[in-house]
Amino acid sequence: MSSFSAWSAMFVRDMQSVLRSRSQLYSSMLTPLLFLVFLGNGVSKGLSPSKLTAGDFTAYLVAGTVVMTSVFSATFSSASFYRDRDSGVLRMLLSSPHSARVVLFGKSLAGVCIGVVQALIVLAVAAPFVGFEWQYGIITGFITAIAVVLLLNIMLAGLAQALASRVQTMQGFHLIMNLALFPLLFFSGAFYPVHDLPMWLEVLARVNPLSYAVDALELSAYARSASGFWGLGLDFAVLGGVAVLVYLLGLTRTPRLTWSGK
Amino acid sequence: MHTPADPVVAARDIGRSYGTRRALDGLTLDVPAGSVFGLLGPNGSGKSTFISILAAMETPPEGELRVFGSKPAPALRARLGTVFQENTSDPLMTVMETLRLAGRLFGVSGERFRQRSMELLTAFGLEARAKDPVSSLSGGMRRRLEMARALLHDPELLLLDEPTTGVDPEERRALWGALLERERGSRTILIATNDLAEADSVCDVVAFIQAGRVVAKGTPAELKAGLRREALRVTWEQPSEQQLAVVRSWPGAGEVTLADGVVHISVDDASSFAPLLFELAPGAIRAVSIDTSTLEDAYFQHVGQRARVTAEVTA
Repeated sequence: MSSFSAWSAMFVRDMQSVLRSRSQLYSSMLTPLLFLVFLGNGVSKGLSPSKLTAGDFTAYLVAGTVVMTSVFSATFSSASFYRDRDSGVLRMLLSSPHSARVVLFGKSLAGVCIGVVQALIVLAVAAPFVGFEWQYGIITGFITAIAVVLLLNIMLAGLAQALASRVQTMQGFHLIMNLALFPLLFFSGAFYPVHDLPMWLEVLARVNPLSYAVDALELSAYARSASGFWGLGLDFAVLGGVAVLVYLLGLTRTPRLTWSGK
Repeated sequence: MHTPADPVVAARDIGRSYGTRRALDGLTLDVPAGSVFGLLGPNGSGKSTFISILAAMETPPEGELRVFGSKPAPALRARLGTVFQENTSDPLMTVMETLRLAGRLFGVSGERFRQRSMELLTAFGLEARAKDPVSSLSGGMRRRLEMARALLHDPELLLLDEPTTGVDPEERRALWGALLERERGSRTILIATNDLAEADSVCDVVAFIQAGRVVAKGTPAELKAGLRREALRVTWEQPSEQQLAVVRSWPGAGEVTLADGVVHISVDDASSFAPLLFELAPGAIRAVSIDTSTLEDAYFQHVGQRARVTAEVTA
């Protein structure tokens, strides 16, 4: 019996599980889209921001919305660890002849896949309605965006998995995810450009891996030129490095079978 | 080298602690190949811990443990089928999807999966529910699904941890019937339970476990052989220690224990005892019943925790 069979079984099972949870599936895409429509149009028309390098605020906000979708998706997907533990499924999975890492790998792969698809749907839905410049062309720009979204979701899946194996309750997990990820979203350039900010905010943006995802997404779709951005080279280097590290961290520990961990 | 005649499980002085709590404390036993082996004990006596260790889901314990002649390891789980105390099926998945997932985890696919899954669904009366979500199954059906899932890969050792918890008597009969009719003799079955009547009827060999160690072991007949022939169960209002001492002194009286206001007396001839009891405690005897001695009586004789376990068995 191969590990491929085991992790692919886990992948299929978790995909089925998410696809059956319609409310989870739709809400993690609809919330960012509503955000985009109302905040984007409101700020764009009401405040007329002048520091944007291209397009209007709604177009600028798309990259942040895609990142936000991935954050929501990773949070929801990782809740399946708690569901599996509480329903006893995790015990059955870990009683198979495969190592816990194989099981975790299959589960996280499903989480990554769902996150990527949801984020790209948000991008595809928004693209026709906002003023993207597609400086590298639509096809290259979209392929670049796919690569960014993939790395971002690998990183988020790893982070969520690392947390899920260390935090005992789902409530605690959601609290920590929100506490960590919402500030990261605010300092990432998702809602406003991080250049010309006070130094302390710019430093926070520089050490925030989500900033590099936003920067790369802005460059691939929204931006007219690379001027005023960090550049795809740096973005991919940071995102790739952090994604690999965090994902491996997520595989280091098995989620606990019981409340007491015994 | 492990031969078919060797015990499937050989445990020597197994110890396991959780913090200051000692879950297993020198547990020693052999599970003969092909047997239906019952591990009996009250909740918290270490049964589930031992099953988890056998399934290599717990950190290696103290002592020496061999399963099929090897130390428990993840690869060995391919030869084990485990039914846990709680259900382990995803309520959102269908019955067939549950088996398919287990099949892929245990390397059963293609034609073998189709054949084996249909065979087991039929044996456990679930063939009509194959496409239904697990959440729509009754408690008994879920336990049957657990059993089918554990047997899918044709394991040599089946570990059953309280497999009939929450199952009504009719379902219990159906479940044991389906299991033992098919499986007895074809594989080794280790059952952890606190249902003494169930163990009496299905097990070839039984070990009583208390506080993490085996206190008695044998066939149900061997364990009952040392008992008096009959058991008196006396509903007695506040018996004094002196009165119980008098009962113990009567010729033919065996074990005398008190639990939950009921005095259990093992005797050779119960009918001669009843009038003596009414003379000893006039007005305090509310009811007397006479049964033949069961595994339960043997259990209490060895374990001596009648009150606690009676509560669990009847709960």
